[in-house]
Amino acid sequence: MLSLKDRSTQKMLFLLIGAALLIILMFIGQVAKMVIVAALLAYILDPLVTRMEARGISRTAAASILLLTLITLTIVGLMIMVPTIRDQVSSMSSGSQSVKTEQALMRLQEVVRTKLAWLGYGDVDLKAKLAEFKITLSQKFVDFIVSDFIELIITLVTIPFLMFFLIKDGIALKKTLISVVPNRFFEFSLDLIYKMDQQLGNYLRGQFIDAVSFGTLATISLGIMGVPYFFIIGPFAGLANLIPYVGPFAGGLPAAIAAVMETGDISRAGHVVLLFVVLKMIDDFAIQPIAVSTSVHIHPGLVLVTCLIGGHLFGVIGMLLAVPVTGFCKVVITESAQTLKQYRFT
Amino acid sequence: MKGFFKQSPQHKDKQEGDICHVLKGMPIFQQLTRRELTAVARILHERVYQPEEIIFRENEPGMGMYIIESGNVIILSEAAKMQLSELNAGGFFGEMSLLDAAPRSATAKARTECRIFGFFQPDLFGLIERNPQLGIKIVLGLSRLICERLRQTNQRAYEFNEALQQMKQSQK
Repeated sequence: MLSLKDRSTQKMLFLLIGAALLIILMFIGQVAKMVIVAALLAYILDPLVTRMEARGISRTAAASILLLTLITLTIVGLMIMVPTIRDQVSSMSSGSQSVKTEQALMRLQEVVRTKLAWLGYGDVDLKAKLAEFKITLSQKFVDFIVSDFIELIITLVTIPFLMFFLIKDGIALKKTLISVVPNRFFEFSLDLIYKMDQQLGNYLRGQFIDAVSFGTLATISLGIMGVPYFFIIGPFAGLANLIPYVGPFAGGLPAAIAAVMETGDISRAGHVVLLFVVLKMIDDFAIQPIAVSTSVHIHPGLVLVTCLIGGHLFGVIGMLLAVPVTGFCKVVITESAQTLKQYRFT
Repeated sequence: MKGFFKQSPQHKDKQEGDICHVLKGMPIFQQLTRRELTAVARILHERVYQPEEIIFRENEPGMGMYIIESGNVIILSEAAKMQLSELNAGGFFGEMSLLDAAPRSATAKARTECRIFGFFQPDLFGLIERNPQLGIKIVLGLSRLICERLRQTNQRAYEFNEALQQMKQSQK
């Protein structure tokens, strides 16, 4: 007989819910992405609205203030970031390199031609290959911006408004959902939703603060060190840091490559690696203990697998959403099992 | 599924008016203004129970209190296998669960068809966060009620003690 108290049943249920979510997401792709992002933002920012309400501002007015602030921040952020990103992408596509980089490349090419000739690399032209790669990369970036421009604008407009309605009507929405639960499971559902709300809120807000703090520190440090594309690599490092173990490498590797490619000085890679080690230590010992709730522990292997699935289905956004979505599923299963133990359903 | 569809403003106002009328008669909410009562009414959960339907069971976690709008509810002790009390419209039960998370001390069962409003701890905590002044008023009202019950219990304990002493003296 299956019982939720049984650990293997819990695991099976976890997999089933995961699979069901995956199928639903595959069918409603873009809309689901927007709703998930809006719901996550609503969850993260809800305490701000509650604090404004405690100061006598109505919930609608508080949610409107938050919406306007978010829109203003997005516009200001785009105005600051777009020219910098454009310059960095155009410098990437121009393929300009320093004399030292060219010398380093020539040395590397010589080594490859002599030592790896037996592998068919006897006439390899590393300089041309690198230039080709950089142009392809920047072209892909430009193509993404141009082809997905309308979708990007719709997303940027829709998400804050969805978030606004979720915050404004969140309490009524929760009440409506509970009203359809049968009497026998009513208190159980209420108990479960309350516990999940607390755990998820702490977890998501912790992850958000951690990602923003790490991303900001990485962007500033890389900018001070003069690492090119720091405006792209820094925020990416912050988001990648959500993925355990692999995250810091995913952020540090592009920074190290960019630093070496710009100057041709291999020691620059060492500086970047050292920087990321220091940043990770600050994250582990200062940011995470304060920001991230330890109550939701997810196995790193599971996070990696869900990130790969998310990435395969929805690209970079899917990879990043995979972490909180996995956290959500974990909280739902564990809290359901624990709360169920306290009730006598016959 | 009626909950999924938005009610008309007139129906919503009437329903909130009905709830406010019931709340005003309760000692916990007597100090509240009409506006504050409406704020409380908005977070209550309306439930309808059929005769003999269990509202909550003894030893299950207590989430909050119930206010009877119509119908009769009986409170039973499963351990002692006896009926402790019967409540009707305007009555309330389970109010201790608004303050602590102790398991229910008795079972509540609908005797007739009942329309009941649930007021739960998570909603009270949310209200305290959003509107601390109103939250304090409710908690004060609840404290007054519990003080009154404690006073009555002390009085009864004193009376029992007196009776016991008299019995002991008469036996001597």
